[in-house]
Amino acid sequence: MVGPTASLSTLSRADGSACYKCPTTGYDLLGAVNAPIELPARRDALKPEEATVEVFVKPGNTTAGVGERYVEGILRSVLTKVVLGRERGFPRRGVVITLAIVGGETVTRGDSYLTILPALLHTSLLALLSAAVPLSMTFSATLLGVNKSGEIIPDVSVTDAKSVSSLHVLAFTSKNHLLLNKSEGRFDFDTWEKVREHALSICRKNTIFNLDGDVAMGDGEESESQGFIRETVEDRLEKDYMWKIDSV
Amino acid sequence: MASAAAPPAAPNSLSLPPSQFARLQPHAYLLAHLSPPPAINQPSIRANGRAASQFRVTSANAGSLTHTNGSAVVRLGDTTAVCGVRAEILHTDDIASWSVSQSTNANKRRRLADSEKPTDESDDAEDEEDRAHVEDLNLLVPNISLSTGCAPGFIPSAPPSALAQSLSHQILSLLHTTRMVRAEDLRIWYQPPNLGPEELERHNEEEQMDVDAGQGLEEESKPAEIKAFWVLYIDIMLISLAGNPFDAAWAATLAALRDTKLPQAWWDIDNETIFCSDKVTESRKLSLRGLPIASSFCVFEADAAAGWRAVVIPDAEEQKALEKKGSQQKWILADPDGYEEGLSQERVCIVVDKEENGKGKTVVVKMEKHGGWTVDSDDLRQLVDVSASRWEEMKRILDQC
Repeated sequence: MVGPTASLSTLSRADGSACYKCPTTGYDLLGAVNAPIELPARRDALKPEEATVEVFVKPGNTTAGVGERYVEGILRSVLTKVVLGRERGFPRRGVVITLAIVGGETVTRGDSYLTILPALLHTSLLALLSAAVPLSMTFSATLLGVNKSGEIIPDVSVTDAKSVSSLHVLAFTSKNHLLLNKSEGRFDFDTWEKVREHALSICRKNTIFNLDGDVAMGDGEESESQGFIRETVEDRLEKDYMWKIDSV
Repeated sequence: MASAAAPPAAPNSLSLPPSQFARLQPHAYLLAHLSPPPAINQPSIRANGRAASQFRVTSANAGSLTHTNGSAVVRLGDTTAVCGVRAEILHTDDIASWSVSQSTNANKRRRLADSEKPTDESDDAEDEEDRAHVEDLNLLVPNISLSTGCAPGFIPSAPPSALAQSLSHQILSLLHTTRMVRAEDLRIWYQPPNLGPEELERHNEEEQMDVDAGQGLEEESKPAEIKAFWVLYIDIMLISLAGNPFDAAWAATLAALRDTKLPQAWWDIDNETIFCSDKVTESRKLSLRGLPIASSFCVFEADAAAGWRAVVIPDAEEQKALEKKGSQQKWILADPDGYEEGLSQERVCIVVDKEENGKGKTVVVKMEKHGGWTVDSDDLRQLVDVSASRWEEMKRILDQC
């Protein structure tokens, strides 16, 4: 399986940004984060002690519609929990995340957005990391399908998603909490528990480096996709600190 | 909600009436109800007097609007949704992508549908074509309106809020994934007559232009074709909103669709248009697939600040152990009202159906959880059971209306 590719801080004007490309679903996303900024329409009556997280999703070839409003709501509720909105400088301000769907299948009207949701979550997390927004935990998400005979299919493509009997998106935090679950289709609860186990193992798959005392990977708790997120950030840091590393 | 509630934990030291305490310290007020101190020997109960997994009193009334094809009013405590289903005709001539292949492909299905009544165990081919027609041609158009002055936060005659838009999307998405409405119910067929010389005369006598009135075997030679579709415009207005809009809106949609009657329609070759019969006896109801019932929950956390103190968030395993020995840290409240929704971020929505009209096993159609990390599989298993018993209750209510 070819893993996703990503790069950080690709936009110069935004506080943080990330490019993300998922080969299995074919989605290509660009995320930008501005934080903390003053929001013009912010009403102080709503939780003045916290930062407001705003998410905007822009589809590639149309204007945003009701489906985008819905997925924005989901992302906002997930990210609000993870962003530490009470850190210094953040209360009463806004964290604005803009996600543009640059490439991939167009999402049609009434579609459930399940296929693109993990990519949207990963892009927004990478962009938040790039903007150095304080987070309580990181997370990783995965998309799984279950076919009619009850087998779990990892790496669901957009075409596969139409033929499976149920589709599941699960996101786990870096401390193994179930952060998000969205399941659609017909399934029973035992199937879902199997899906949960499978998703957790995907999100928590240990990397091979963890036993040799490597500090970066020393937690032994790195997942495949969280390992991927860490690698992306490390790549960027190495690039940014090239001058320092070279001089040593 | 506060008037019916028991007084808070320490009424003596507090000169405020409970309703004011509820406004000033909403979190402490609800927490005091849910975890009363052991000294006063009270059961844990929500501020609105319900038990944690108790839903509000629900009532439904179908056929409330006279100008619609189907309508319903569903009341869930103080949340009230009115739903009207209006059917309009979409000519296949007006569909840009309507191709010949689609209509001949559909013809095979026509024969099958004639020979047997549609059953719940529909084959894959039918499913695929249902999806193609209902979803690709957008035959279902739900819309939710919250700008009715339903709650103080929603300004009347304002543009649809983000909540209204995402609710419309959720209803549409659920209608699509459950495939509740059969495409066959929405098709208007035309059987071209076999214009042999004798048959032509007979046709003129009987004026048999009506396709649905049973076809003779001699007419099999010419394939029937789809001339038009019914498009169902499902308009939901929340006239009063006190929390949990999705359950109310979905129940109203369900009741309205069960009430919907489509008039008999046929293609008139002479006028080249669709005619509808105005006789009520000739109209037919939709045959819906299953009865998916939505139940929403919110999670109230004892520690309001748990979300932002980075260092204290325990691992999932530690948290489980902590919950076992320590006092209860969270309460999962079924069918939250507006007050409880304002105090919780984590939401769970479960849509269940039961096979064989309630006698079969429970099938989860949609399970959604977001906004927090306290609910995991053990809780979700319980919630599915709660939703299953809610299914029984809602089925009884919807059958009676």
